[in-house]
Amino acid sequence: MRLPVRVLVWLAALLLLAVVAPSLAPYAPTQMFTDARHVPPMPPRLEASGRVYAVTLTDRLRERYATDASRLLPLPWWAPAGTPVFLLGTDAGSRDLFSRLLVATRPTILLALAALLGTITLGTLLGVIAARRGGLIDALIMRTGDLLLVLPVMVVALLLRSALPLVLPAVEIFAWLTLLLSSVGWPIVMRVVRATIRHEQASASALAVTALGASRGHLLRRHLLPACAGPVLAQAGLLLPAFIAAEASLSFIGLGFPDTWPTWGTLLREAADVNALVRFPWTLVPAAAIFLVTFGTRLVVSDGHAMPGTTAVRPGSAGRIVREGSPR
Amino acid sequence: MLRRLSLRLVLAVALLWAAGSLGFVMTQLAPGDAALADVGPGAVEAREALRARLGLDAPLSVRYQRWLTGVVQGSLGHSVLFERPVVDVLRERMVNTAALALAALLVGSLLGVPLGVYSGTHPSAIGTRCIRGASALFVSIPSLLLALVLVLVSARTGWLPVGGMTGAAAASSLLGLIIDRLSHLTVPALALALPLAAMLEHTQAQAMADVSSMRVIDGARARGLSRRAAVWRHAWPLSLGTVLPVYGVLAGSLFGGAVAVEAVTAWPGLGRLMLDAVRARDAALLAGAAMTATALLAVITQGIEALAAWRDPRTGTDA
Amino acid sequence: MASTRPPRFLLTVLLIAAVAGTAYLLWRDVRPAAPPQVPGATDGPPARGGRLVVGLRSEPRSFNRHVAAAAFTDVFTHLTQARLVRIHRQTGELEPLLAESWTIAPDGHHFTLQLRRNVQWSDGTPFTADDVVFSVEAAFDPALKSVLAASLRVDGQPWEVRALDTHSVALAFAAPFGPGLRLLDLLPVLPKHRLEAARRDGTWATAWNPATPPAEIAGLGPFQLAGYEPGQRVVLTRNPHYWRTAPDGAALPYLDEVVLEIATDASTELLRLQTGQLDMLQQALRAEDVATLQPQVDSGAVSLVDLGVSTDPDAFVFNLRPEFWARDPRAPWATSRALRQALSHAVNREQLANAVFLGEAVPVWGPVTPGNTRWFSPNVPRYAPDPARARALLASVGLEQRDDDPWLEDTAGRDARLSVLTFRGGTQLERALAFVREAAAAIGVALDPVPLETNALIERMVTGDFESLFFSYSTSDLDPALTRDFWLSSGSSHLWHMAQPAPATAWEAEIDRLMARQASTTDEAERVRLFAEVQRVLAEEVPVLYFVAPRLSMGVGRRVRQLSPSVLRPHLLWAADSIGVTP
Repeated sequence: MRLPVRVLVWLAALLLLAVVAPSLAPYAPTQMFTDARHVPPMPPRLEASGRVYAVTLTDRLRERYATDASRLLPLPWWAPAGTPVFLLGTDAGSRDLFSRLLVATRPTILLALAALLGTITLGTLLGVIAARRGGLIDALIMRTGDLLLVLPVMVVALLLRSALPLVLPAVEIFAWLTLLLSSVGWPIVMRVVRATIRHEQASASALAVTALGASRGHLLRRHLLPACAGPVLAQAGLLLPAFIAAEASLSFIGLGFPDTWPTWGTLLREAADVNALVRFPWTLVPAAAIFLVTFGTRLVVSDGHAMPGTTAVRPGSAGRIVREGSPR
Repeated sequence: MLRRLSLRLVLAVALLWAAGSLGFVMTQLAPGDAALADVGPGAVEAREALRARLGLDAPLSVRYQRWLTGVVQGSLGHSVLFERPVVDVLRERMVNTAALALAALLVGSLLGVPLGVYSGTHPSAIGTRCIRGASALFVSIPSLLLALVLVLVSARTGWLPVGGMTGAAAASSLLGLIIDRLSHLTVPALALALPLAAMLEHTQAQAMADVSSMRVIDGARARGLSRRAAVWRHAWPLSLGTVLPVYGVLAGSLFGGAVAVEAVTAWPGLGRLMLDAVRARDAALLAGAAMTATALLAVITQGIEALAAWRDPRTGTDA
Repeated sequence: MASTRPPRFLLTVLLIAAVAGTAYLLWRDVRPAAPPQVPGATDGPPARGGRLVVGLRSEPRSFNRHVAAAAFTDVFTHLTQARLVRIHRQTGELEPLLAESWTIAPDGHHFTLQLRRNVQWSDGTPFTADDVVFSVEAAFDPALKSVLAASLRVDGQPWEVRALDTHSVALAFAAPFGPGLRLLDLLPVLPKHRLEAARRDGTWATAWNPATPPAEIAGLGPFQLAGYEPGQRVVLTRNPHYWRTAPDGAALPYLDEVVLEIATDASTELLRLQTGQLDMLQQALRAEDVATLQPQVDSGAVSLVDLGVSTDPDAFVFNLRPEFWARDPRAPWATSRALRQALSHAVNREQLANAVFLGEAVPVWGPVTPGNTRWFSPNVPRYAPDPARARALLASVGLEQRDDDPWLEDTAGRDARLSVLTFRGGTQLERALAFVREAAAAIGVALDPVPLETNALIERMVTGDFESLFFSYSTSDLDPALTRDFWLSSGSSHLWHMAQPAPATAWEAEIDRLMARQASTTDEAERVRLFAEVQRVLAEEVPVLYFVAPRLSMGVGRRVRQLSPSVLRPHLLWAADSIGVTP
């Protein structure tokens, strides 16, 4: 499968996951269970043909539980009203971590996809303008892009975020974060689009088509933009993990989604307490989820010999490097 | 040459001004100010007094003007959060972040470059497969997650101290002090260095592969040099032209990762400072910290560019 | 490329399989870990000397108690300044400090205080009545805007003070005041020779800012400022001129040095306590931190000091301002007592204590908790967890299940829905609110949490722009006469309806009456009786809901001896001069 197609398929798969995951959650994400703080994970046991060992509270103050191998419980989907089964354990709020992780998948992935869409739209638009108009406008767009590339993402994010009230409703945060990530990511797409179009519009086929009387719009739609699809999608494959990591970082430091809204970032925030993390390491499971998506994206985008996504750096372009592949 | 240099200087100053102003103005746009948090709900007069003392009762344009004049004269203002001049606060924190960044760059380079050279020159060895796999792995882990995992591991095993920068009561000797600082530096630096090393490994490997195709190594060996000498003394310097510019990019992402890593490991650096400033709505501090971070980054990037230009004069400004 | 494709694919599959296998093993076997052990403690009698290292969470803003109300300044004042009298935090008795003895005039609000002789400031200057007069005047001087003024005023009036001679002072309140001289516990005596100039030329606010050289700060307390390293620590050394002695005649303080180490967050502080870098913290431990410290407690490295039941339970405040609800159609039930009582019935307080405080909390139904031993009244209506009764109460104001969604609706079809403002980032508060939310959902009432940052929350609370509020606030005084702002309808902390020109309801008028009598009589038993009645009325009308009060404890290193724990802040350092450490 060619790279652009692979990327599209992967993005569609993620979208499907985002849509479907919350319905797989056995319990509500905000449901608090009695006497169930920091319950260790209760995995299905191979020796018990997939059922789970029951767990009882032995010490409330120290949050210690004992596994009772004599009592077997079915998986939570088969018996939703029975004794609760916490596949990945519970967090400090006595809530099922597995359900929260699944429900958190949707906003996290949707935000990343929305930011990706915004970045591609904005970047393509500005790239086309820069490449077709040339001259002063081109220089302006390129310089602004350079400026944004030079400033570290998190610094820009912090600065922009400080203009908003510290705590906002989740929907507003979603919109603002999409805007923020798009504003930071567009230079990357813009550069690729601009380079591709400049290359293509000077090519023989483009000249031929124009000579045959095609309008500028036709040239754009039928030849130039399709040529961009490949490189842009390759960049998309890099930007997606970066956006997920950015949301995680922002929510982790408290400037992203509010804590009442489960996303992978806010779930990680609850794992931030070092003392709790050491005693209850399963609260780190959202990190595994982030890693899986990121690694999966790298695998998809990798084309064998080149590192996932990085195109060869041209000598003679010091300081003008398209920022690819950098983990943010 | 001089014109280019002065142009760069002007751009740098403009960048600093933009970062600082952005930081200053942005904090003021949101509701609430620094005075409210200090005093309880009932004490209105005390709150007003505090506000007057901090100069928060003036309109934004006046405050911005005051700040800008201060900057031009060399003072970055007064930090509300720390009750000290901003410059003092920045001085300590900047050193901490610079130490962290440099340590990460150093460790990342020491790991990534030799591994990259190896895997670039031995394309089908087993070792190369492992290195590639590890690279792909670490490039996929954001620094934030790596920091959390490292904190977990070090706390469980007790090998390294977790959190903060200073350790046991009054380090008695200079050596003790150095060891204490270094042991606290390890976890945050590693969290930043490992993804960096992975990136470097890959870029270096690719660059070495390109150079190898130029048959430089074969030529050197034909002249009687050992393989190692051929690789390191002849092939590797040629690859630098490709590798050095990547540092500029990496430095940028390093600062970004530093914010999250400092938050996790409680390392008292610029990233944490910016965070605290945003939370406390300390405009002058945020502006100052943003400017410092930008300046630091600009210095590193320009340094790299200069180094690359010196190595290969062909690398000049692009069209 | 084709030749390397199959092996690469195979390698990827193997890698994924290995990772998945490891993950499954981890999943199956991951268990809480035990933090590392610390070597055992030794017992022994306290010796003189030594250094006490205490954790400090925020940067110092000012050393002047009149300028800053922050926790640091309060502790600093306790360590370096003295008062005329002291309320012993454990017995509640009034103890003479700088005022050796006093006489009270028959009218109950004129006092003559005899000051201790031969007392010197930490810089050697003699202490005289002029310092007392200066301190009192500074507190009430309108130009200085002291943060203490509001709590010190009696009947809204400042005190009158006059020096009779070098070591006696005449003091007068505007009217008889219940607590009497106990009010003096709030006022530190500041050095006139050091601060007079600042008062005169208007630099009061910056007089004792953190950059002040230690030599300029003088005090009558057990310690004096030795140095402040910004971002690191505040160092205090023994005050050589400290005038107080132990009951057996030994000179105080026992400690040579107190170091306040600035730590940036709770986790780091706790770690430092575990490893012995800190001897004590300044805040009480959260319940989960008690569990974290268990290995150190077991090995004797850290001991847990029980402080008692907290006097600051979290408060669920309803907005009862008529002007806020004027145009809101939900007003009939949103401001009804039935709704408030229903919510009180809906929450199972014992389960809340288990879920949020790991069982270390007691149920409460009013703002006064068993931790306030003098004033707590158990005779208040207690709302047992009773969902059926809750629903009946809601039905009485027209809230019933009228459609398919889980929420009740009123007669116009509107959902039973309230927004709840709360602090962002206070984990125990957030967890408690989550519990209350679930409890409310079980009876069909929707509570929508709106987390806000501190500034924004206080702003909206003060302006009355909220439907309901869930937050925690700390009271510094146990005596109800000193917290009148909360009880009186005209008070600025009367959370559900602040600063009323006249009481809006009969029960608020009743509370006003009772509180006025309680504040103006000096008969202790009468005051207790009156205040018990006030608590009963409040628990009956529940404008504010209280659920549980946590049991507080502090972790203290094994070296520390002779502690006098108190439930009020600063929990241990209020009696810093008697604390000792073993070498």
